Amino acid sequence: MFKRSGKPLWLKLERFVRRQRVDTLPVHIDRRRVYVLPTRFGLFFGAVVFVMAGGALNYNNNPALLLALMLGTAGLAGLLTGHLQLSGLVMRGIHADAVHAGDDAVLRVSFQALDARPRTGVMIGIDGQSAMLMMRASSESVVELRLPMVHRGWHEIDKVSVWTTRPMGLAHTWSWLYPVYGWIVYPALEHNGPPLPEASADASRMRAAQGGDDVHQLRAYRHGDALRAIAWKASAKTGALLAREYEQAVQADILLAWSQVRQLPHEQAISRLAHWVALADRQGRRFALQLPGMRAIEANTGLAHRHACMEALARLPGVRA
Amino acid sequence: MNLDEKTRPYVMLALGLCMLPLLLQLEIPVALTVTGTALLTTIASWRNPLPGVLKILLLVIVVTAVFMVYRGFGRDTGCALLAAMLAIKPSETQTVRDGRSLVGFGTFAPFSTYLLNQSPTALILGAIAVVVAILVLMRLADLENQVDSADWSPREPLRATGKLLLTGLPLAMAAFWLFPRLPTPLWGLPEKSVSKVGLGDTMKPGEWSELLLDDTPAMRVRFQGTPPSSQDLYWRGTVFWDFDGVEWKPDSAAAIDTGGRSLIKTTASRWHYTADVEPTDRKILPLLEYSTAVPEGVRMNVDGALRTETNMSNLTRWQVEAAPAALDPTPLSRVIRQRALRLPNDLNGRTRALGRQWRSEFGSNDEGIVQRALDTFHRDFTYSLTVPQPGLHWIDDFMFQNKVGFCEHYSTAFVVLMRAAGIPARVVTGYAGGFYNKTGDYWLIRNSDAHAWSEVWLNGRGWTRVDPTAAVAAANIYDTLEERAPGRIGQFDGFQRLWEVSDSLRRGWNDFILGFDAKRQAGMFKRFGINKMDSSTLIALFVIAVVIAMAWMVLLLRRGERVADPLLRAWHGLSKRYAKHGLAREAYEPVHAWLDRITRARPENAAAMQALAERFSAMRYAAVSREKTAQLIRDIKRFRP
Repeated sequence: MFKRSGKPLWLKLERFVRRQRVDTLPVHIDRRRVYVLPTRFGLFFGAVVFVMAGGALNYNNNPALLLALMLGTAGLAGLLTGHLQLSGLVMRGIHADAVHAGDDAVLRVSFQALDARPRTGVMIGIDGQSAMLMMRASSESVVELRLPMVHRGWHEIDKVSVWTTRPMGLAHTWSWLYPVYGWIVYPALEHNGPPLPEASADASRMRAAQGGDDVHQLRAYRHGDALRAIAWKASAKTGALLAREYEQAVQADILLAWSQVRQLPHEQAISRLAHWVALADRQGRRFALQLPGMRAIEANTGLAHRHACMEALARLPGVRA
Repeated sequence: MNLDEKTRPYVMLALGLCMLPLLLQLEIPVALTVTGTALLTTIASWRNPLPGVLKILLLVIVVTAVFMVYRGFGRDTGCALLAAMLAIKPSETQTVRDGRSLVGFGTFAPFSTYLLNQSPTALILGAIAVVVAILVLMRLADLENQVDSADWSPREPLRATGKLLLTGLPLAMAAFWLFPRLPTPLWGLPEKSVSKVGLGDTMKPGEWSELLLDDTPAMRVRFQGTPPSSQDLYWRGTVFWDFDGVEWKPDSAAAIDTGGRSLIKTTASRWHYTADVEPTDRKILPLLEYSTAVPEGVRMNVDGALRTETNMSNLTRWQVEAAPAALDPTPLSRVIRQRALRLPNDLNGRTRALGRQWRSEFGSNDEGIVQRALDTFHRDFTYSLTVPQPGLHWIDDFMFQNKVGFCEHYSTAFVVLMRAAGIPARVVTGYAGGFYNKTGDYWLIRNSDAHAWSEVWLNGRGWTRVDPTAAVAAANIYDTLEERAPGRIGQFDGFQRLWEVSDSLRRGWNDFILGFDAKRQAGMFKRFGINKMDSSTLIALFVIAVVIAMAWMVLLLRRGERVADPLLRAWHGLSKRYAKHGLAREAYEPVHAWLDRITRARPENAAAMQALAERFSAMRYAAVSREKTAQLIRDIKRFRP
């Protein structure tokens, strides 16, 4: 007696197909990686044709035999057609934009064909989501998949399945591709979260900035100064162009720290911080982020800073419940 | 996944088309019940499945209807039940899976039609049904693969279906001609429970009036060499010995198998012919009198009737030799003589008295008695298919009152007269005459050519054919009447010509497809000088043919890869030739960048390639005459790096 392994057939099949394979883009689907297995209807259809052919041969009924043969060979041509729908496709690239948990990640997978055959109704599936590839003769096509993102963190696709049961639904023709591709999923933003925590008084300072109202001082003209900022009278007196420098009370940098949200449940705390990061970014405030177990991200503004903070939040380890 | 509003009608259409040829073969009440049920269930279950009770009720009704019409279980009963099941199946068709199984089972309908009938109509309807079935399966697969149905039109899938069928055709043909056939079936085909009118194993006066109006073909015969004269075109079916006053029966004792030997010992010139006998579902093989060798699978009774071992449910082809009857001086045995003289005692007294009277008039002159009977018929009798209802003493009525009838009446009355006169006589049924199709050079024997004639035993001559009907209406038997030619309408013979051509086509189809069996398969290779084809060689040939056909299929299906523009194709070919040197043109590479690369790697090609590339560019981006383009294509194809 041989020992039965507990793995389901599907997993065993995948193991056989995969054999530790990682694909580098572009992935060419050649005939060696297209698999064809009959569907349940395909088995039924095969049985129908078999019974017909057997009966027809027994009774030497030639029209019945021709009927069975025509059905059978059309089915076989269907299998080949299905195979040719996949073989010759090339997956050129994958791209996904970062999203927040709770949103759908939009995954764009671009395909190209090596030959001039049109591909219609080939399904592309990733993580249980699928979309249809429609490709005219000798062209390129991009498939858009929307994957619901539940958890923050790094997401990697396990495999891309490309399959079709066309043209007759007799066989499942498929190929599995294993490109290495991942993207970050930011934490969900807290819905209706509290306003930004205001910085303590000692951290606030005045900083020179353009656009304020209080005249502070005059300085030498610098290229790019607005015409109305030029102090014409003073310039006339000194003989050199002088510009007025304004001063504005700039709000202080915000420190977003783990300590401020420690009392919240872990994921909610992360959500709160993410909400603040988003809020601060929207208001154009400078903010720093301090998270446990890593170096603080220094105060800054801008898109890159926001991404860096969000990613840091996304990568925070989770807590075992 | 559920069937959408657009797909469901197509599924039902496919089912309907599959069932149509079968329904045409069923008895009319059953066909009507089944059609009604199918329409009812389809409409009633359009939105929601029918409740189970209703389905069972419908099933009971339809099955009862089937068994009320077909008393007993036969092939036709089975087919009717299949139709009944298919009629109820739409009631539970909601999902793609249901639709598929419905179409899958539906394809059994044309299949079972062919078990009942192989007429061109059934074949054409079946072919249409298969095309639509595949089309609908494609639609269902599209639905499963989420291809939108809103803008779905059957035109593109129809093209795809045609492509599938045509690419499969070589393989289907290879399998059809080369797949080893069974010389004898492993299991028999069940008989029909309701049999068609036709030559039977019994004969009652008046029962053939339907058959004699049936113009469908019974067989087609092509003679190699000279055909017999029309007086010799008698196709022997069943020979009847026993008459009970109403019904003729064959003699079971006469059905002695002659073991393949023919009864004919003759030196006369023989007729060689091929007969394609249409399916009758009977064992009677009506071949020309008298076969000198008995084909395999056939036995010959001592009275010359031929019987096949199994019912002829398919078109069969027979290669036969026949000879005119020879004089047989051997005396008749006492047992057979008695059998051939037996008459039911108390019926038709006047006719029997007439026979006895003739005997006393002519003494031992048997030929005289025969001639006298024929003269009587010729003088006073008329031929008609409309005859009065036969009474108990119907032969007396026929002989002395009505004096009208057709072959059954004449042959029966004649044999009764002869037996009464003491001359051994019997009734032979079969076909007489035939229509010569000039276009196809063959004889067509129709069911309306069914005929009954007589044979009398004459001393020194043996069994001699006498056709009393011919004494009355020879034209009706020998097809000399122009109006009896098939396809003829009035005096205009264009239709007849058309009919001849179409029947020739039918014969070709029979010859090519329907009549193909193990015998023909073995004979197929004789043309190539292979006399004996054993099954292993055949299988090897089959496998080779399958491989070639599959390769052909792949080739056909991949054809889509071809670039449409011949110039581009030639240009890509050039790139392929350079690929051997690692210099294939990359997809992103413009012509000149490629040229630079080639120039660097293979300077010896540079000048020639430069010229080609310039011409190529010029032609791609400017209008140039066809001849110049063709010349360039030739030049590119000729160029070898």
